[in-house]
Amino acid sequence: MFCYHCGCQLSEHDFCTACGADVSLYKKIMYVSNRFYNDGLEKAGVRDLSGAINSLRQSLKFNKNNIDARNLLGLIYFETGEAVAALSEWVISKNLRPDKNIADDYISMIQSNASRLDSINQTIKKYNQAYAYCIQDSKDLAIIQLKKVLSLNPKFVQAHQLLALLYMDSEQWERARKELQKCVDIDRNNTLTLRYLKEVELMLAPDENAKQPAAKRKKDNTLRYQSDNEVIIQPLNVREQKGGGVSTLVNIGIGLVIGLAAMYFLVVPSRVASIRSESDQIRRDLGEQLDAKTLEIQDLEGQVNSLQAELDEKTQELENYAGTDGTLSSMDNLLAAAAAYLDTEDVDQAATNLESIADSVVIEEMPESFQRLYNTLLGIIGPGLAKDYYNEGYRLYYNEADYEAALEQFTKAVFYNNDNVDALFYLARSYHRLGDFNNANLVYDDLIERFPNTDRAKRSQEFKNDMAGSQ
Amino acid sequence: MINFEEELKKFHPSLEVEDAEEAIYNQDLTDMADLLVKMIKESEEQESAN
Repeated sequence: MFCYHCGCQLSEHDFCTACGADVSLYKKIMYVSNRFYNDGLEKAGVRDLSGAINSLRQSLKFNKNNIDARNLLGLIYFETGEAVAALSEWVISKNLRPDKNIADDYISMIQSNASRLDSINQTIKKYNQAYAYCIQDSKDLAIIQLKKVLSLNPKFVQAHQLLALLYMDSEQWERARKELQKCVDIDRNNTLTLRYLKEVELMLAPDENAKQPAAKRKKDNTLRYQSDNEVIIQPLNVREQKGGGVSTLVNIGIGLVIGLAAMYFLVVPSRVASIRSESDQIRRDLGEQLDAKTLEIQDLEGQVNSLQAELDEKTQELENYAGTDGTLSSMDNLLAAAAAYLDTEDVDQAATNLESIADSVVIEEMPESFQRLYNTLLGIIGPGLAKDYYNEGYRLYYNEADYEAALEQFTKAVFYNNDNVDALFYLARSYHRLGDFNNANLVYDDLIERFPNTDRAKRSQEFKNDMAGSQ
Repeated sequence: MINFEEELKKFHPSLEVEDAEEAIYNQDLTDMADLLVKMIKESEEQESAN
């Protein structure tokens, strides 16, 4: 102990031997502080941590420099889960006595392990979150959060107490008691713990005294016991009704009759309606399927018809191409005509062959190579033949007045040379003479259109007008 | 009978690590010894003044 005035070591006297200051009161204060420290140490030894905290705080109120008291207070805070409070005490202790202070070890122990410090902080944050849940009346969430807190730090007394309070609020008395028991194991003399425990014990042992609350009395008719984690509540004083065997049988019979009647009036109609609904649904489904199939059949029939028409068309086309011996007669005839002309230069034979080909097929629908060969051959023999046919037709028309024969010759002349305006004119005239006005008109029109402003065109127009007048 | 709302008021949020510094600075460290020394000094000053 040192003098408050000069800082010298004090002796057993009530004054400082160095400066003479009266230290009697000061010494008493130090003694009281030490007394409280001893008291706190004893209480901590028997795990009366709340009592120890009170004593140590008193000790520090008398002497803030009581380093042992401060360090022990920090240890007790740490034991009850108040890590930050513990750290605060140790930091102050370290500042008051920088050297040879065990608080230094405590601080180092926490600060050297970053994960442990983080775990402590997380625990505190979760506890605060649980507390916030309680304030917001989210008790289920608070319970879950507190369970997490206690799994991280099982010695967090305040968390145990809050969890117990939540259990008590939801009338889970056994669970509350377990939590409070854990509190007692850590801190034996915590007033709050003991008060809650008393309340819980009162709820769990209703028959022990008559001071139980009115709300609890309602539960007197039940027997509670614990089975694993479940609280079994068994009703008491429930009397079984006594009666004769006959009345029991009658009651059973009445019950059966009522049951059958209920089934008939309630169950059967609903079942019938259900079956009817199902059958309607099946009928609708079948109808829809039938419609779909009908549409499909119609579609397929349409496809069959179009395919049949296409097949007929192709067959006809093939017949045009193929001869009786299966060869392509048109091509064969054309080649034969070309070969005959090249071998013998027989224009008549070539002309006959070309006419035969022109009668049997539509030239414009034939392949390009066929058309080219046909036109080439026609270009070679056409002009000479056309002239011959025209001359013969002209002779028949004027010398013999045989218009029918002349018509045939002019037709061939036009066939081999479509640009011969005279042949075209006399073709029309032959039709005119023979009374075939329709064809005559067609040929007149063709001539007027293709050779306008010619004498033949003017004459054709005049004959057309005559025909119109005579009709 | 325990009243949950009333009991809840007895609990308070725990100090987080970030709050430790502030808690240390705000702690009142005045003790009885400080008060005694102050009183003695004041009485000595009064005596010297008289």
